[in-house]
Amino acid sequence: MDLKKTFIVTAILSIVAIGIWEYFWRSKGVYPTLDDNEALWAMQRYRVEKAPSYNMLLMGSSRVLFDIQLDEWEAEIGIRPIQLASVGSSPLPIFHDVVANTSFTGTIIVGVTPGLFFSTTSPDAQPWQWPQSKVDYYKKRTYAQISNHLLSLPLQKNLAFISDDQGIDGIKLKELVGKINIGNRVVDPMPPFHEFGEIAEDRNLKMKQITVTDTAYANSVIKVWQFFMKGAASGPPPDKNSTIDFFLNDLKVFEARGGQVILIRCPSSGSLRAGENMGIPRAAFWDDLVKQANVPSYHFEDYDNLKGLICPEESHLSAEDAQYFTTELVKIMKNDNTLINLKSNKHAL
Amino acid sequence: MLFNSLSFVVFLIIILALYYSKLFNWTGKKRMLLFASYIFYGLWNPPLVILLWISTIVDWITGKKLAIEENKRKRILWLMLSMFVNLGFLGFFKYRDFLLDNFTTVLNTYGYGYQSTQMDIILPMGISFYTFQTMSYTIDMYLKRTERAKTFLDFALYVTFFPQLVAGPIVRAQDLITQFYEEKRATVNQFIWGFFLLTLGIFQKVVMADTLLSDTVDKVYSSDKILNFWDAWMGTLAFSGQIFFDFAGYSTCAIGIALMLGIILPDNFKYPYASLGFSDLWKRWHITLSSWLRDYLYIPLGGNRYGVVRMYSALMITMLLGGLWHGAAWTFIVWGGLHGTYLILERLQRQYIPFKITKWNGIFLAFTTFTCINITWVFFRAREFKTAWNLISSMFYFNPNGEKVLGSFDILKVGIIIGLLFLCHWFMRNTSVKAVSKKISPIALAVVWAVMLFLVTIAQGSGEQFIYFQF
Repeated sequence: MDLKKTFIVTAILSIVAIGIWEYFWRSKGVYPTLDDNEALWAMQRYRVEKAPSYNMLLMGSSRVLFDIQLDEWEAEIGIRPIQLASVGSSPLPIFHDVVANTSFTGTIIVGVTPGLFFSTTSPDAQPWQWPQSKVDYYKKRTYAQISNHLLSLPLQKNLAFISDDQGIDGIKLKELVGKINIGNRVVDPMPPFHEFGEIAEDRNLKMKQITVTDTAYANSVIKVWQFFMKGAASGPPPDKNSTIDFFLNDLKVFEARGGQVILIRCPSSGSLRAGENMGIPRAAFWDDLVKQANVPSYHFEDYDNLKGLICPEESHLSAEDAQYFTTELVKIMKNDNTLINLKSNKHAL
Repeated sequence: MLFNSLSFVVFLIIILALYYSKLFNWTGKKRMLLFASYIFYGLWNPPLVILLWISTIVDWITGKKLAIEENKRKRILWLMLSMFVNLGFLGFFKYRDFLLDNFTTVLNTYGYGYQSTQMDIILPMGISFYTFQTMSYTIDMYLKRTERAKTFLDFALYVTFFPQLVAGPIVRAQDLITQFYEEKRATVNQFIWGFFLLTLGIFQKVVMADTLLSDTVDKVYSSDKILNFWDAWMGTLAFSGQIFFDFAGYSTCAIGIALMLGIILPDNFKYPYASLGFSDLWKRWHITLSSWLRDYLYIPLGGNRYGVVRMYSALMITMLLGGLWHGAAWTFIVWGGLHGTYLILERLQRQYIPFKITKWNGIFLAFTTFTCINITWVFFRAREFKTAWNLISSMFYFNPNGEKVLGSFDILKVGIIIGLLFLCHWFMRNTSVKAVSKKISPIALAVVWAVMLFLVTIAQGSGEQFIYFQF
C-alpha cells in the first residue's frame, strides 16, 4: 500500500478544494467576520476583573451593541468602555454577575430595551437564558476553550468561509444542510433572519451597510421584529415588578460599594416604536424605573438632536448614526457631569 | 482538550515534533508524553489532575506490593485499598448525588421528611475510563495475570496516555505498558495511516454526529409533546447514528494518534450495527469495556460455571452495573437491564429454538438486532422516564396522531444516513477499513480522504464535547 502517494494527493486535493470553497464564498460577497459568541464575550468579561474604578461597562441588548460606538465614546471621554451587551437579552443577569462576582466600582451604562428589560426574571426564558449562558460560560470556561478562541481569531479574521452565522446567512455545513426543505410537514413560522451587524474583537459592533442601502434586506429584519412583537402580544405580559425589584436589589449593592449606574434608552422607530408605545408605554415602564432607581437616565426622545434618528430596520442605528448618537449622548452626559472626562481630568487616573 | 479543536491541532503538532526530534532519548520522550498528557487533561480542569496522580500512586504502590507479597490476607488488603480509592473516586464524583437522591426518596416514602443537600460536584472527565484501566492492572496483579510495570514512568504513562485517557479504549496493562519498554517510532506508512484514522474519527464526530444528526436528535428528545410515529423513530435512529459516530469516532482518533507515535491500541468497535444477536453486539460495541466487564465482573460473579440461574443472575448484574457505569441515573440502569434481558432471551432461544444463521436470514437477524438496540437507546438518551415512555409508545404506534417536529428532509436525511450506516456495517462486518483500503487504488483512497478533510473543514465544528466524556 503506497500511502505516501495517497497522502500527497490528499493534501493537494484538500488544499485546492478549500481554496475553491473560500473563493466561491468571496465571489458571493461573503467576507471574513468575527463570531459574536460566548468566547468573545468572555474575553471582555475577563477585563472587568481588573478594570479600574474610572472604567465603564456597557450592558443591555443589541441596541447598546449597535448604537454605542466605542471609538466615539473613547474620543469624547478618554476611555474605551468594556462592551458586555448581548443580543436579545435582558441586561439583568449580566448586571447581577458583575455586582455579585466582581469588585468593580466604576460606571455601568445599562441599556433599557423595554421588551427585554421588563420581560422576565425566569431563568428558562430566552431573554434571561441567553445572557446567563454567557455568564456561565465565563465562569466555567477552560484553558482549552480560551486557547481555542485565541487560535480561531486569526482564522476568523482571514477566511470568509469560517463563520458561525446561522439561518439564512449561515455558510457552515450544518447551516447549508439546514436550509434544504422538502414539503411543509413542519412549518417554521419565523421569517428568515439576516445577521446585519459586524463585530470587532473588542465587541464594537456596526450595522452592515447593506441594511441601510437595501430596503428589501432591512424589511426582512423588520418582519422578524414584527414576528416577535406578535409573539409577545400573545405571550405572558411584561413582568415589570419582578424585573425592577431584581434590578434595584443589585443597584443598591453596587451603589453601596461606590459604583454608579446610568440608564439609557436607545432609539427605535417606525412600527416597532409604535408597538413599544402600545405594549410597554414609557410612562408606565421607563419613567417608573427611572423614578425608583433614582440614577442618571437618558431617553433618546428627550433630546431634540437624538429623537429624530431613524433606524433602518426600526430597532438599531446605522453605523454612521450610531457614531453621531454616541458622540451626542456622551456630550450630554458630560454636560450633566454624569461622566468624568478623563481627557481633561488626568488626575482622575 | 478535545480532538476536534484547534488547540489539539497545535498540541499534536508540538508533541509529534518533540517525539520525532533528537532532543530526547526514549526515557525523555516518555517523560515528555507523560507531561503532555497532564497538560492535555489539565487544560480542562487543572486541579482534577490530582485525582489522576492519586490513582496512579496508589495503584503503583499496590502493584509493587502485590508483586512481592505472598500472604493472602495482605494481598487482599492491598487489592481492597486500590478498589477503595478508585471506586471511592467514582462513587463520590459520579454517584454521590444519585445515591443521595434515592436515599432521600426512600426516607421520605416512610415519612421522615429528610432534605438532602446537593453538592453539584463536577464530574472529572474520563474518570470512569481511567479508574477502570488502573483497576484492571491491580486486579491482574492480584490474580498474577500480569507482570509488574518496570518503572513508575511506564505505569504513570499507562494510566495517563493522552490519546485514550478520557474515553478509552480501556487498555489492559500487558497490552500497553509493555509497549513502553522499548523505543517506538511509527513507520512512514503507520504514521500516514494513523493520520488517516485521525481524519476518519474527526469526520465521524464533526460531520456525521454533530453536523448531520445531532439537531434531529435534540429536536425529538427535547420535545415535551407526544410525538408522531415517524418523528419518534427518526429521532431514535438519528441517536443510534450519533452515538456510534461520536464514540467510534473518538476511539478511531485515539487509535490513529497512538499509531502516529508508533503505539498500537486495540479496536473498540467492529461494525456493531450488523451484529447477529446481542452476544455478538457486545463483541463489537465498546469492546474494551465489555471485555473488562466480562473479565472483572461477569466471570468473578460465577459466569457460566455454576448453573443457569447463577449465569443469568451474573449476566443481569453485569449489564445493570454496565448501565450504571454509563451514567448515574435510573434510565441508564433500565438500558443495562434491557440489554441483560436481551442476552438472557438470546441464550434461551439458542437452547430451545436453535437455528442456523445463513447469509439469507443473517441480514434479517442483524436488522432485528439493530431494531431492538434502538429501543434501548431511547432509555439511554432520554433524561426522564416520561420522555422515554412517550417515545416508546409513539414508536409502537400508540400515538398515530402525535405531534410532528421533524421536517420531511430531516426524515429523509436520517433514513438515508442510517440506512447506509446499517448496510455499511453489514458489508464490512467481516473485514476492516485497512483491508478495504488495500484493495482500492491509492488515488481513490486519496479522494475519499480529501472529501472527509474538506467536509470536516467546512463543517467547522464548534468543539462540541464527545458524548462519552460525561461517562
